[in-house]
Amino acid sequence: MNYPFWNVPHIGSGWVIGLIAIFHVMISHFAVGGGLYLPLAERKALREGRRDWLDMLRGHSKFFLLLTGVFGAVSGVGIWFAIGLAHPEATSTLIHNFVFAWAIEWVFFMVELSTAAVYYYTWDRIPERLHLTVGWVYAGASLFTLVIINGILTFMLEPGDAWLAVAGTGREASRFWEAFFNPTYWPSLLLRAAVCTSLAGIWALVTCSRIDGEEKPAAKAELVRWSAKWLIPSFVALPFLLAWYLYQVPESQRALLSFGMSTIGTGAFTQVTRTVLIIVMTSATIVGVVYFFAWRSPRDFSFAHALAVLGLGLIATASGEYAREMLRKPYVIGRHMYSNGVRVKSVETLNQTGYLTSSLWTCRVGDPRFARGEAMFRGQCMACHTKDAYRSMKRLLAGRDREAIGNLLTLLHEHKPDSPYRAFMPPLVGTKEEIEALGDYLATLTPKEKAVAKRQHGEPSIAKR
Amino acid sequence: MGKAISSVCAWVDERLGVSDLVEFAKQKTVPLHRHSFWYYWGGLSLFFFLVQALTGVLLLIYYRPGPDAFESVRQITFEIHFGWLVRSAHSWASNLMIVAIFVHMFSVFLMKAYRKPREFGWWTGVVLLMMTMLFGFSGYLLPMNELAYFATKVGLEIPASMPGIGPKLAALVRGGLEVNEFTVQRFFALHVVVLPAVFLPLLAFQLWLVQKHGNAWPPAEERKPVEARQTIPFFPNFLMKDLAMWLIALNVLAVLASLFPWELGQPADALKPAPPGIHPEWYYMSSFQVLKLFGTWFPGASGEAAGIVIFTLGLVLWILIPLYDPTRTAGRRGRNATYFGLFALAVLLVTTVWGYVGLK
Repeated sequence: MNYPFWNVPHIGSGWVIGLIAIFHVMISHFAVGGGLYLPLAERKALREGRRDWLDMLRGHSKFFLLLTGVFGAVSGVGIWFAIGLAHPEATSTLIHNFVFAWAIEWVFFMVELSTAAVYYYTWDRIPERLHLTVGWVYAGASLFTLVIINGILTFMLEPGDAWLAVAGTGREASRFWEAFFNPTYWPSLLLRAAVCTSLAGIWALVTCSRIDGEEKPAAKAELVRWSAKWLIPSFVALPFLLAWYLYQVPESQRALLSFGMSTIGTGAFTQVTRTVLIIVMTSATIVGVVYFFAWRSPRDFSFAHALAVLGLGLIATASGEYAREMLRKPYVIGRHMYSNGVRVKSVETLNQTGYLTSSLWTCRVGDPRFARGEAMFRGQCMACHTKDAYRSMKRLLAGRDREAIGNLLTLLHEHKPDSPYRAFMPPLVGTKEEIEALGDYLATLTPKEKAVAKRQHGEPSIAKR
Repeated sequence: MGKAISSVCAWVDERLGVSDLVEFAKQKTVPLHRHSFWYYWGGLSLFFFLVQALTGVLLLIYYRPGPDAFESVRQITFEIHFGWLVRSAHSWASNLMIVAIFVHMFSVFLMKAYRKPREFGWWTGVVLLMMTMLFGFSGYLLPMNELAYFATKVGLEIPASMPGIGPKLAALVRGGLEVNEFTVQRFFALHVVVLPAVFLPLLAFQLWLVQKHGNAWPPAEERKPVEARQTIPFFPNFLMKDLAMWLIALNVLAVLASLFPWELGQPADALKPAPPGIHPEWYYMSSFQVLKLFGTWFPGASGEAAGIVIFTLGLVLWILIPLYDPTRTAGRRGRNATYFGLFALAVLLVTTVWGYVGLK
């Protein structure tokens, strides 16, 4: 629409965001949970005079600083670059609504980074109470980054009726608080907090597992058990929080969870169900492994065990993030903007005036017709599909001739209430000619039609202003 | 509540002697050394077999052999709740089971665990592997899709090329001259009745042998004095580790089955030409490639016959290895056996990769 389209072959632009974001979430949630773990463990060690705990905590805080301060911070900035390129329309909407929220988050982020460094470098250099206070400041700052970013993330799933009533009027910021504390805000915040404490425990188990059980049997057993306890809140509360969260999610989005129960049919959008299965399986395994290996036999808890738990935790977290993203389909901002950047309220207008004529970076393409078709593809399909790999159009259209492709596009364009694609795909917008051009272009991707189409129209090319 | 559970346990124990079993398990030890990792692969093979049995029973509820085979698998995959998951888990577990058995077999071979008094363990193990491959071959056709149809057709050409009984044997298995619904019926009977009826007693026999002789020490450890060797109790230490490996295997299986569900493809059509690059499953690729090579080296059917003879000879040598290298005092024979094992592994890997490269 207002921005150029970013073509990422094979994996698609969505996965660029996805890979960076999943990596970031796994570290940032540790940054929040670990931020609580360190001062709590330090306080316990100081109160009970456990110097051997302090040795472990020092090592853990070094690892913590490196992981969160380097990889967490870099991947966080990476998300900004990625979303700006892949979803400029949605990013623009978020910035217009939440610029002050982000500014506040960055303040907390700076405090977080600074205190993490101070915390590590001042072990044994400042009074113990002051050192502990630094830890608490870190914990508070990191928790607030979550409190703020959670409002923005949950807004994207369900902005709420109050904000939607003013969306597109220029008065969106007047509904800032309603948008921020949207229906899924609280369950999501508590869910994430539970994941943070779990990840804090899991990462701490990695450090504790390296303590020599023969040399320091008591310290290892105590630390492993104490770290294992950090998983309890999450696994007790998670089912209830998840149920609450899903209850708050709009019915239409909740329905996406059930698509994959009975089928793996191509184009039936079954990945949410399949990903949820992985979350259930890996979470159950973590409970089993932590109970039997960390809680029951803490002295024998090895680095390999800890890495296995960590791997499972990361798979569960990554699957959770992926499922949450998929649950937003067909929107990128619930009920306001479709995943390809088309606003819900603009659909009728774009159908009448044309999609390409309303798009700054493609509006003046003349013929050839194929260039228009390809521009339509880039603008409306490429947010979720690639030509030949992830959600490959070649695979999805395989076996369809030009007429069948045309019928499919008509189905997507009409976007009727009983359309099977309506639940997870945006409507195809544009004039009849634009949709015809898209059909011609797509036909070149299917083996049967490719040769004919090439003979008639020549090689496709992208036209830009 | 606790008292009630204790009295129930005591009641059961009095009648079944469970505590004796636990006591026995506590006495039993497992060698601990740098190659201990390879001890888990037998347990992993068993785990995947159990998954196979469970998911196989679930599939039996909806599967209909014969002319409806494809339609019933289509319903399982696209209509029945979590049918696709059960089918995917069954298919993935079958492949993982074969991987686990191969790893187990080569680790047993290279750790010389076939030596006296474990010869019967080796022989039953090799037979169990071959039967598992037969399970795979017979199960592959059951959906009666295009790939399975043509792959089975190609696969049955291997026994058919055997001189003498080959053609008759292939016709017997096919239930006629062509692969059709009668073949599906026969493969189904083989898959769910005949093979399990033979497999289960053999498996029980092998598990009993493992209990009887325990885990073998690898040669390098065997040379150490007894007091320098380390062991861990089977119960609970080794069992816990074994169960942890099962958990990891379950997670690997769950991820594969969920993220890469087994596709169904198109229904088999005998009138259609075979799709390009048709080939058997990966665990038959090596023998397929060897036959192909011999077919190009020698004219006509003699090439395939020569390939079968060579392959059979190799298998016989493989089976007889405990008789050639029976004890740790075997000296040069022991080294030769190791070279033979490494050569067999290399041939399997190279011909398998070669087979896939040759398809492109």
